[in-house]
Amino acid sequence: MNKNYFLLILFWCAMWTLHAQEQIELSGKVVEANGTPVVGATVSVSNQSSKYSTDENGVFLLKYTGDITLTVSSLRYKTTTLSITNQRTITVLLEEAVEQLNEVVVVGYGTQKKGEITSSVASVKAEEFTKGAVKDAGQLIQGKVAGLRVTTPSGDPNSSTQINLRGLNSIQGATNPLVIIDGIPGQLTSVAPEDIESIDVMKDGSAAAIYGTRATGGVIFITTRQNRSAESRTTLEYNNYASIQTILRKPDLMTASDYQRLIADGENYEDLGNATDWIDEVTQNPFSHNHNLTLFGGNSRTNFTGSVNYRDWDGILLKSGQDRLNIRADLNHEMFDGKLRSHVQVINSSIKALQGGSSEYMWRQAMIRNPTDRIRNDQGKWQESDAYMYDNPLGMIHESVNDRIFRETRMNGSLDYRPIDDLSVKGLFSRVQSNDLNGLSTSFDHVNTTKNNLNGTASRWTQANVENLMELTVNYNKSFDGHKFTGLAGYSWQRNSFENFYAYNFDFPTDEYSYNFLQSGAALQRGLAVMESHKQEQTLIGFFGRVTYSYKDKYMAMASLRREGSSTFGENNKWGSFPAVSVGWDVAKEEFLQEVPAINQLKLRAGFGVTGTIAGSPYNSQISYNYLREQGAYINGTWVPGLVPARNFNPDLRWERKEELNVGLDFSLANNRIYGSLDYYTRNVKDLLYYFEVPVPPYLVSNMMINAGELSNQGFEVLINADVVKKEVFSWKTGFTLSTNKNKLVNLSNDKFGVTREFFDAGYTGEPIQTFTHRVQVGRSIGDFYVLKTVGLDDDGKWLVEDRNGDIIPIQDATVEDRKFYGNGIPDFNLGWNNAIQYKNIDFSFSFRGAFGHKILNMSRLYYENPVNKAYNVLKTAYDPVYGKTLNNDLVYVSHYIENGDFMKLDNVTLGYTFKPNFVKGINYLRLYMSGLNLLTITGYKGLDPEATSYQGDFLFAPGIEHRDRYPTTRTFTCGLNVTF
Amino acid sequence: MSKQNKFVMNTRKIKHIALLSAFLGTTTFSFQSCTDLHEQVYSEALGSSINPTEKDLPFILAPAYASFRSLMFGWQGYFDLQEESADHIITPVRPNGWDDAGTYRRMHQHTWTSEEWQPYNTWQQAYASITKANMVIMQIEDGTLNLPEEVGQAALAELRTARALAYYLLLDNHGNVPIVTDYRDDSLPDQKTRKELYDFVVKELTEVLPNLSEEVGTSMYGRLNRWGAKALLAKIYLNAEVYTGTAQWQKVIDEADDIIKTNNYRLDDNYRSVFSSTNQNSSEIIFAVPYDEIYGHGNQLHMKSLDPLSRLVYAMAAGPWGGNCAVPQFIDTYDTDDSRLHDSWLQGPQYHASTGVEVINYLKHVPGIGGDGTIAASNAGYRLGKYEIKKGATTNLDNDYPMFRYADILMMKAEALLRTARADEAAVLVTQVRRRAFLDNPEKAIVTGGDLQKGSTYNYGWQEKDGSVATSNGGADIQYGRFLDELGWEFAAEARRRQDIIRFGVFQTKSWFNHRPHAKAQSRTLFPIPNAERTKNPKLDQNDDY
Repeated sequence: MNKNYFLLILFWCAMWTLHAQEQIELSGKVVEANGTPVVGATVSVSNQSSKYSTDENGVFLLKYTGDITLTVSSLRYKTTTLSITNQRTITVLLEEAVEQLNEVVVVGYGTQKKGEITSSVASVKAEEFTKGAVKDAGQLIQGKVAGLRVTTPSGDPNSSTQINLRGLNSIQGATNPLVIIDGIPGQLTSVAPEDIESIDVMKDGSAAAIYGTRATGGVIFITTRQNRSAESRTTLEYNNYASIQTILRKPDLMTASDYQRLIADGENYEDLGNATDWIDEVTQNPFSHNHNLTLFGGNSRTNFTGSVNYRDWDGILLKSGQDRLNIRADLNHEMFDGKLRSHVQVINSSIKALQGGSSEYMWRQAMIRNPTDRIRNDQGKWQESDAYMYDNPLGMIHESVNDRIFRETRMNGSLDYRPIDDLSVKGLFSRVQSNDLNGLSTSFDHVNTTKNNLNGTASRWTQANVENLMELTVNYNKSFDGHKFTGLAGYSWQRNSFENFYAYNFDFPTDEYSYNFLQSGAALQRGLAVMESHKQEQTLIGFFGRVTYSYKDKYMAMASLRREGSSTFGENNKWGSFPAVSVGWDVAKEEFLQEVPAINQLKLRAGFGVTGTIAGSPYNSQISYNYLREQGAYINGTWVPGLVPARNFNPDLRWERKEELNVGLDFSLANNRIYGSLDYYTRNVKDLLYYFEVPVPPYLVSNMMINAGELSNQGFEVLINADVVKKEVFSWKTGFTLSTNKNKLVNLSNDKFGVTREFFDAGYTGEPIQTFTHRVQVGRSIGDFYVLKTVGLDDDGKWLVEDRNGDIIPIQDATVEDRKFYGNGIPDFNLGWNNAIQYKNIDFSFSFRGAFGHKILNMSRLYYENPVNKAYNVLKTAYDPVYGKTLNNDLVYVSHYIENGDFMKLDNVTLGYTFKPNFVKGINYLRLYMSGLNLLTITGYKGLDPEATSYQGDFLFAPGIEHRDRYPTTRTFTCGLNVTF
Repeated sequence: MSKQNKFVMNTRKIKHIALLSAFLGTTTFSFQSCTDLHEQVYSEALGSSINPTEKDLPFILAPAYASFRSLMFGWQGYFDLQEESADHIITPVRPNGWDDAGTYRRMHQHTWTSEEWQPYNTWQQAYASITKANMVIMQIEDGTLNLPEEVGQAALAELRTARALAYYLLLDNHGNVPIVTDYRDDSLPDQKTRKELYDFVVKELTEVLPNLSEEVGTSMYGRLNRWGAKALLAKIYLNAEVYTGTAQWQKVIDEADDIIKTNNYRLDDNYRSVFSSTNQNSSEIIFAVPYDEIYGHGNQLHMKSLDPLSRLVYAMAAGPWGGNCAVPQFIDTYDTDDSRLHDSWLQGPQYHASTGVEVINYLKHVPGIGGDGTIAASNAGYRLGKYEIKKGATTNLDNDYPMFRYADILMMKAEALLRTARADEAAVLVTQVRRRAFLDNPEKAIVTGGDLQKGSTYNYGWQEKDGSVATSNGGADIQYGRFLDELGWEFAAEARRRQDIIRFGVFQTKSWFNHRPHAKAQSRTLFPIPNAERTKNPKLDQNDDY
């Protein structure tokens, strides 16, 4: 896997005439472009075995004879080689390992020079990553890739970022991008962020089509840090950080004194005589720390990388946090003069998640709990009352245990055989296995027992996933006379299996066991325990091929085809073909522009590709049944389970197809100081797979998986990077990303139904309002709120709404038909602005990120900004006049609670200082930094965090809801240290 | 090229070939299955591998009945739909909640919308039963389910009866709904009128009667035999005037007589044993929806009604939710010597199961339904006590729901007699039913034909917060109002009051508690077609005035 780095070499030389074979003393200095000496660089001489290294001033001394080649390498720099004859002094300038035109970008089953790429591909290197206490790989590139929206809707250390590329492109299939880690599918959380060297994002379908069915959401390649030096190397790096978090925004609830004031005013509140700030009581000041140790070693033929990453994160809610250990070992070995290359990698993660009772539901309890109530009663027990769904949040936290241990081992190996130059035959084998083990219990002081007499509850839940992958590829490259061909052919076989087990018992003699002695519970003998198990499996097989051609880096073309089959589809619909073509033309390489030095690259690109989406879960095409207790009855004097269809059958289930056209421009101007890309895409998803709401009757259950409908997306993306200042002591790089996305439901129909549906409703307010929030209508965008539009209050404080004719009517007369479309929950455009400034030894970076043109349904206001129900606490604003009057209406879903969601965030600020080499003896590199995440939000939105809206799961069709039950988001402050020995 | 070089080349070649074959060898195993996409099913039973026979019949029949279980006494189920829209039971706002965005208020005041869950729940469960029955009917008819002829015919008849029962629920509640009988037909069904639905259900039941089992006892308990089907027919005829505009009183009498004549059923001596946790032993029950604490979950009536503190009274292994209670005006109609007042409603002080200390005292007075700031105290209102709550009860009770019982057969016949000018004959039947309620005052059990023709003693009118009934118009003007009262006392909390008061015109015209007649009261005798279903099937028109 050697990569040819293109080198920029500068040197001075003095000429001496000497006899051949005479020993010459060479004194050299290795510096960066800005003149900073490079400490600890390895210098090797072609006819010597010994190696030299530079001192704290970047200076090395050596003796040589004859004509030699000098190789200078150092981590984070490009390796430089230069020929020397009779020279006595030399200054070697090392270029930092990024130079965008010649950057190598990971593409499916190989790499390509960025200059040759004909698709929309974005690449983010480690030095551009978000710094600080970063959750996962997603957050590393937040705001740095145009078209990739990364959000962190939850402050839970155990939650991951949510990621979306180019809008909503599938419904039931994976909408998330395919994540490939060193060639193997995984998750954004599979490797520690500190272990990542670069992240490449394949945005358009022409690039992604080589991954066929898994790539509709795009492909993200994560490349871990590996020892790529050609020379022997022994380096040890240690990075750590410690961080604290504060709540991003605390909800402004009524306090005990507000209660007392309102009681005095005649409101029917209950004063229990205490003053408790429940939000303060359930939150903590979390402290977190993270340690990463990485070592690189070996020589040009056999080398290894190892890393140990440990992190211990606290969450903002009491008793929540995560403890994680990641270990990675990576071994490369070369034999037979480089003809056989082997690679073995093992990544092991072990995560222990502590959740306690700090659930999102607990948050609701903290919100609604009477502020005049106390935490504990006179007996020192948790103060509880007999209200329905009204539990002491601290009791929930302290009297329940909810532990999750997740262990994953990713093992893979490859053999790459190169019998002749330009030909590589490669086999890649991988197994990813993970196990989840959960334990849940509640003590005798938990409401399960104090209120419900269950005498302690405990459950265990475990699941195991195994994903086996085999990929065989043949790569052939040929270059001559400026023509360059590459060809790829391959076969891929992947099988995932999943199994789980669950057991629940209660009525324990003691609560000392927690979940560790389930058999002591009596509910099992009473017939009330629960036991479940399940197993499923799916197989995906693909044949694929790709050819690329380029002529003098001026004209480029690519064509690929993947033929893929999935076990999850019906017998006649298992296989699908996914072709792609793309072309590029670098106008700057044309003679008429060669004379214009300001233009270094002006590459026009166009690509078309088809990807597919498989059904989210297997067996949807099977005609199968289950024996279910809940479908059973008392027949012939005994209780029997009922035999019922597992689902509404659909043996016609087939692929969902996405066709994407992408046109773009890659440019590099002013001596490569301004560079970036512009892209425009249109995507059309046909045969949309969806658990469609089907009528009951004639169907048994109200939804079934069918291919129905067509969805389109279009958008425009801009990425501009500029080296604003590039001086020796001062440099400033800035990057700007902008992306727009507009989706439209083109139609909703299925031959089977013989009718075209005009819309379906989505989203759910939750209890007690219990209605839908969004309507997905043909011809409109997904994510449109559908709601009664309020225009005022009547004299009784009841809502007045606009009816279907625009007339004003009391809300009790309004029906569903009077609802209106009221904005969309998906942002029209997203912005990112990233800056990196270097002044002498000080580095400073900051980034802004924003989303604009969308609405948010503020569920907290919907439920808690209404004074009608005196049983629950509400926001202080509940008593604010609405349209100049006092609200006296039941909780209802109306437009009043839908707000403009535009926001701009100061996302990440980092200030670092790099000490001079050997400032501490033996340490080549030492940097201290401070960093802040999610520091400042500029928004008119009244909720806790405009970013805390989910776009996944239940919210796929109902985006833009800030839920009332949540884990609050936080602001993080970090101090860190990077050391290289 | 020298020989030596050639040799080197060759060894290299050999090495390469060896490597290549080793390489391919390791992968051969998978090439054998390189395009195999067979789907291995683990946690489902494949249709192709199930060959059900007679012994599997219970598993196959069960699902058609199962839906009734989750519907009848489940969360916001049929019980709530029938009782909270009527004049016996309310769920007022309480200190522990029960506002639930006004849904109980809307049920009480007849302002429900097409998105209200309670009527939609009935729709979904009824059609689930219908579709599951259709599936098995198809399997029997096409031979997939291999049954002996006689067994097959009996099973078909039973399934069609269960299906007819589900359609009857729709007939009564939604009126104008689709009729689907063919499992294979998944086209969007057309809407039928209430009259068409009535005709369909009557025709189905009449057709299957000869093939239905006549057996009574354990093997048919919880299932529809011929007498269950006849009870259902009687019930449908009883309401025929509401459904179709044409009364069918004689048919009610005929069906009731068929059942009476068999002597299969008799009134239990003890009213409470019909509703006990072992009421499968009742000799009065013709068709019940069985529940079981372990096997047949779904009876959660006590959970919704009891105050959380009542858990101490019954040493419950669950914390009840404390919601619904009796309308005080209805309680006032009882004769205080009527033992059904105490047998049906929990009232007064309640004592701790082991210490005997009073834990709560249920009072009759309920200030209001809420929504205007009124909150009913946690002990306000009498609670459902009809269904025995056994000591140590969990979230799910064992008591079965007696959907058709012998007393009802007698009362249906009595009503038909009363309405066909045979009041004295009716009075004999009513007296028969009343006897066990007045064991201490047997003379009070006796009613006359003249009594039954009187109005109701229910003091209909709007209830103020202090319990006084303002704008009272009483019940004296209700034709056969006394008979309606009899139905109320005998069948309180049996998930049927709505149907009865529609038939007597009370539902549409009277005020009670915090309910006034809806501006479009007649239209409220049907629930709306659920909005969610209308969006999926554009052939469904909404019921009038929704």
